[in-house]
Amino acid sequence: MPVHQRSSGWSYVAAISWRVVLQRFSFIVFMVLALGLLLLNRVHPGTVQGVRTHLVDGIAPVLDAFARPLTAIEQAAANARSYMSLRTENEKLRTDNASMKQWRDALVTLQRENRELRDLLHFKAEPGLAYISARVIADTGGPFTRGLIITAGATDGAREGMAVMTGEGLIGRVIEVGDWSSRVLLITDLNSRIPVTVAGSGDRAILVGENSAAPKLMYLPRDAVLSTGAQVVTSGHGGIFPPNLPVGTVTETSRGAYNLVPAADMGRINYVRLVDFNLKGGAFNPVAAKVEAAAKKR
Amino acid sequence: MFDVVWQRLDYGARLSLPFITALLGVLLGVLAWPLPHLGAVAPPFALMMVYYWAIHRPDLFRPWMAFLIGFLNDIVHSLPLGLSALLFVAAHQVIFRQRRFFVGHSFSMIWWGFALTVFLVTLAAWILQNLIAWTFLPVLPAVMQCVLAIVLFPLPCWLLIRLQRAAFPQG
Repeated sequence: MPVHQRSSGWSYVAAISWRVVLQRFSFIVFMVLALGLLLLNRVHPGTVQGVRTHLVDGIAPVLDAFARPLTAIEQAAANARSYMSLRTENEKLRTDNASMKQWRDALVTLQRENRELRDLLHFKAEPGLAYISARVIADTGGPFTRGLIITAGATDGAREGMAVMTGEGLIGRVIEVGDWSSRVLLITDLNSRIPVTVAGSGDRAILVGENSAAPKLMYLPRDAVLSTGAQVVTSGHGGIFPPNLPVGTVTETSRGAYNLVPAADMGRINYVRLVDFNLKGGAFNPVAAKVEAAAKKR
Repeated sequence: MFDVVWQRLDYGARLSLPFITALLGVLLGVLAWPLPHLGAVAPPFALMMVYYWAIHRPDLFRPWMAFLIGFLNDIVHSLPLGLSALLFVAAHQVIFRQRRFFVGHSFSMIWWGFALTVFLVTLAAWILQNLIAWTFLPVLPAVMQCVLAIVLFPLPCWLLIRLQRAAFPQG
């Protein structure tokens, strides 16, 4: 009997002291845990990404519920603005329409000519593009990252590597895909690298995000002289993005380097569309495609 | 019977108020606000909550909560997992140890304390991010975020004081 009493007394003391120790040192415990997580990013980046994608998918409905009223407010404000400027906008549209008609006539002629020339050359047409529309439910940017969470996931056909556009131009690409939501890395993010071509001169460059409003045009040919306002489009090199998606226009910095002003209004993105370039299977991977082709031959 | 259940629910809701407001802080930080370019400098609402509750109700806002809030912040902001968790737990501990400087003092003292906290946390985040990515991140967006957070702080703080008084009339 006394033995039993002693043992229950000990377990009681042990339980109490364990609680006290945990409370006193919970700060240290959680610091160590956080440091462990930081290390896990390095050791198992795939696992971390999987966890992140699943959790974002889980909270996407909550984010969506919060985002909906804000989107509605934004749209109401835009409507009010457009009512205010109805008269001037009408005037502008009238002049635009007149010039568009001229463009259309020219386009019809060019299109016919183009078709005839393509027939002559037996030109193989590019595969058509398909689009997936999505709504922005979170702006995950901060001082160190630039990104969005959107409402299109794997069930909607979203895939990693897809180009993300607004009506005006390219804004980024899909980097993580959950079942119902995806994460977009904006072209302004520090980790963004996109092969582009300057329309007109045909100079190739890599568009490098800098966490600022205007990403940098790097690796241009040494003798390249670009004019401010020149259009920049995706080059399609590397097979990740389709060619000729509008990205923005060139500006020259005071130090003689070239930056890009995005065609899309990067500060006000509510709706996006994902560009499905390679209709079969994920971001087009030239190496994987070659391996697959070789396997088929065998 | 119904009264008892209701009372327990009410009591539970009051006790979890600090954690719930901190969760809301994380969500508010990533909302696509209808203000252009706010995303890049959106104030760290979650840190404001951690700061406020570590001073006023540390008994209801424990280090594990600071850790969870930081973890969630890392998830939604695509930050390296553990970065905000580490900084929030550290900030919670430092603020908790120094809370006697703030409790019972004027609001300006709390405001100064927050300014110092947000500055140190952002600086630490900037240094850690540079080390992790082995690069040189621009300083300006971080400075802008700091300034905006300090300027906006009285508004969420006022709301939190109201909430605290409503939920815990005895203090």
